[in-house]
Amino acid sequence: MIVFKTFLKILNKNKFIIIMYTAILIFFGGMNMSTNDKSTNFVTSKPDVLIINNDEDIGITKNLIDYIKSNSNIIDIKNDEDAINDALFYRDVNYIIYIPTNFRSYFLENKNPQIEIKTTGDYQASLAEMMLERYLKVANIYNSILDNEDDIIESINNTLSKEVKAEITSKLDTDSLSKVTLFYNFSNYSILAGCVYVICLILSSFKDEKIRKRTIISSTNYKKINRNLLISNSLFALILWFFYVILSLVLLGDIMFSIHGLICIINSFIFTICALTLAFLLANLINSKDAINGIVNVVALGSSFLCGAFVPMEWLPDSVIKIAHFLPSYWYIKTNELLKTMEIFNFDTMKPIIINMAVIILFSIGFIIITNYFSRKKQKFA
Amino acid sequence: MFIHNFKYILKALFKNKMLIFWTFAFPIILGTFFNMAFSDIEKNEMLDIIDIAVVNNNEFKDSVIFTEIFKNLSDKNNDKRIFNTKYVNEEEAKNLLEDDKISGYLIIENSPKVVVTTSGINETILKYTTEEVSQYEEIIKNLTNKIASEEISTNSEYLNNLDELNNKIYSRITKLINENNVNIKNISSNNLSYTMIEFYTLIAMTCLYGGILSMSALNCNLANQSKKGCRVQMSPTSKKIIVFSSVLASYLTQLVGLILLFIYTIFVLKVDYGNNLPMITLLSLVGSLAGLSLGIFISSVFKTSENTKTGIILAFTMFGCFLSGMMGITMKYIVDKNIPILNKINPANMITDGFYSLYYYDTLDRFYFNIISLLIFSALLISISINSLRRQKYDSI
Repeated sequence: MIVFKTFLKILNKNKFIIIMYTAILIFFGGMNMSTNDKSTNFVTSKPDVLIINNDEDIGITKNLIDYIKSNSNIIDIKNDEDAINDALFYRDVNYIIYIPTNFRSYFLENKNPQIEIKTTGDYQASLAEMMLERYLKVANIYNSILDNEDDIIESINNTLSKEVKAEITSKLDTDSLSKVTLFYNFSNYSILAGCVYVICLILSSFKDEKIRKRTIISSTNYKKINRNLLISNSLFALILWFFYVILSLVLLGDIMFSIHGLICIINSFIFTICALTLAFLLANLINSKDAINGIVNVVALGSSFLCGAFVPMEWLPDSVIKIAHFLPSYWYIKTNELLKTMEIFNFDTMKPIIINMAVIILFSIGFIIITNYFSRKKQKFA
Repeated sequence: MFIHNFKYILKALFKNKMLIFWTFAFPIILGTFFNMAFSDIEKNEMLDIIDIAVVNNNEFKDSVIFTEIFKNLSDKNNDKRIFNTKYVNEEEAKNLLEDDKISGYLIIENSPKVVVTTSGINETILKYTTEEVSQYEEIIKNLTNKIASEEISTNSEYLNNLDELNNKIYSRITKLINENNVNIKNISSNNLSYTMIEFYTLIAMTCLYGGILSMSALNCNLANQSKKGCRVQMSPTSKKIIVFSSVLASYLTQLVGLILLFIYTIFVLKVDYGNNLPMITLLSLVGSLAGLSLGIFISSVFKTSENTKTGIILAFTMFGCFLSGMMGITMKYIVDKNIPILNKINPANMITDGFYSLYYYDTLDRFYFNIISLLIFSALLISISINSLRRQKYDSI
């Protein structure tokens, strides 16, 4: 009991850092959950567009603006070139259209006026460009044959309003499932950092030379002390895990009570055990308290960046993914990603998930073996 | 005395493993992570060639305009190619879609229809293109009458030869459609790579972390911080010389770390800082000065242990970097747009924004604004520190 009490005391001393890591998770988690509309109907992606109109807002000019408006999200930015450039750089807007003065009159005179644009070059911008090109193309065709502006506008609108049916086959609520994946991927960082930091801190306090000498000569058996330490540390890891699960239930709601949610929770539990064993290993290797902070940052940030906890896995370069195979986080995150698009649950579809979990458990066993090896070596030379 | 103190402070700083880790190694490690994670993001945001299928039934084969345009858009030699198209029957198309081999498929039954699994960007483009083609059909329908009456009025012989008339109309309209007569000019800057901001915040972080060095150097001279400090304060040397030599030693250490980081980011990670080398150097020197003054300020004004002081510098720097976009690039934009004052007084943002303006803007106005802000920030902190360092007396320590 005395060991456990000391454990709690040290924990209490470091409550600030634990709360901080949790706050980061809630903050990022909360930011990602802000959009909440579910959809099983086809929704066209809309690019963010800014239109700077230097012409009068009538006739063909007005019609062009209306068409762009109805097919994109118009972003409102004050008309200041610096603010516009900033917005483009930070992708607040994907595509900027500058309509020149006299656009309408030049157009009607068949002079094909030039439109200047600024683009971020990503797929949203490509979509906006397709839209603008289509309008201009159709307008030019009608303009070369028809004479009256009203006729031209009417023909353009008739043509462009012709839509094609789109049928969606999947009934999976992919929006909510991606949020689950996002949340649990990010918890990779929080669980690792939390476990490694706290456990290293506590074990290094016990390893302080004076304290160690005192515990060694005490009447308590050293095995009992070690066992108690192991239990209390596992308890801490469990509480940490439990807290994140509760948090996910609160933030994500109904979707967590599905089979997807259940597998995510089991997966994170297995990963927490792995983080615990890794923390034990690191605590055994680290001798100075000062080094803990550095090691935590390198280990937790490193495996989070490399394995796709922050940046989606499909966006990482192949070489990074190859390195990531050597880290337990990769197998944890891979399961989360698989769940995102899984529709049918049977042995065949579950097989890769079971393999991933087995790999994480193998990692844990490996960490335990290495820890034992090092601590035995240390005991001998102590 | 100046050289003596300078030399030993320099030695002490370089031998302190913890300090060197945070100011030299940590930024390089973090930069490596950034590079690994972000190097492919922007490439992935570009439009790729989309895998689709077309149900090759009779209705599709009969529609000349659909077959032609889809063939054209899937042509490997066309630089405007957007699709990789498979021509299959409906059953195969369904299977391909289920196995995630294609984004969606097109089927024409009375009217064209696209079938997809989700509503993403690729799916939207498929729908869009299909719409475009059916709109051309519409154009042909609309204009046929108009052109027909025009042609007949100029040449009444067409009345006897309707086939030729139809061909003429069709070729005239398809010529209009195929003519690329859209006049759009791209005037955006080439330097639009927003992940660069991450590396700029990294430089800002390193500059401000330098504060730990100056704080630690100054602590050696403060009587209430260490035994060494007591002895130094007792010695018959001018305080000015002692403080100045310590600060200079830490500034030098800081610059060595910064140069290493620059070398690493430029030559290994290929970060683009723009081409204006003198301005980059100026910004780095002034940025480091801001970090230095932050360290002096915290060391002289706060009367706590060295660990707490380190904690304050780390927390301040991390919060500043967070606001200037280290943990999410849009954060900088959100703050700049909504609470500009917060980033105008944030030294991490002044450094980040300085690099950003060198990279993205053609003029230097914004850059100089940041340099002047950093100088004001440093001058303010240093003058407060001087005030509190002067005439210190201790009743007991």
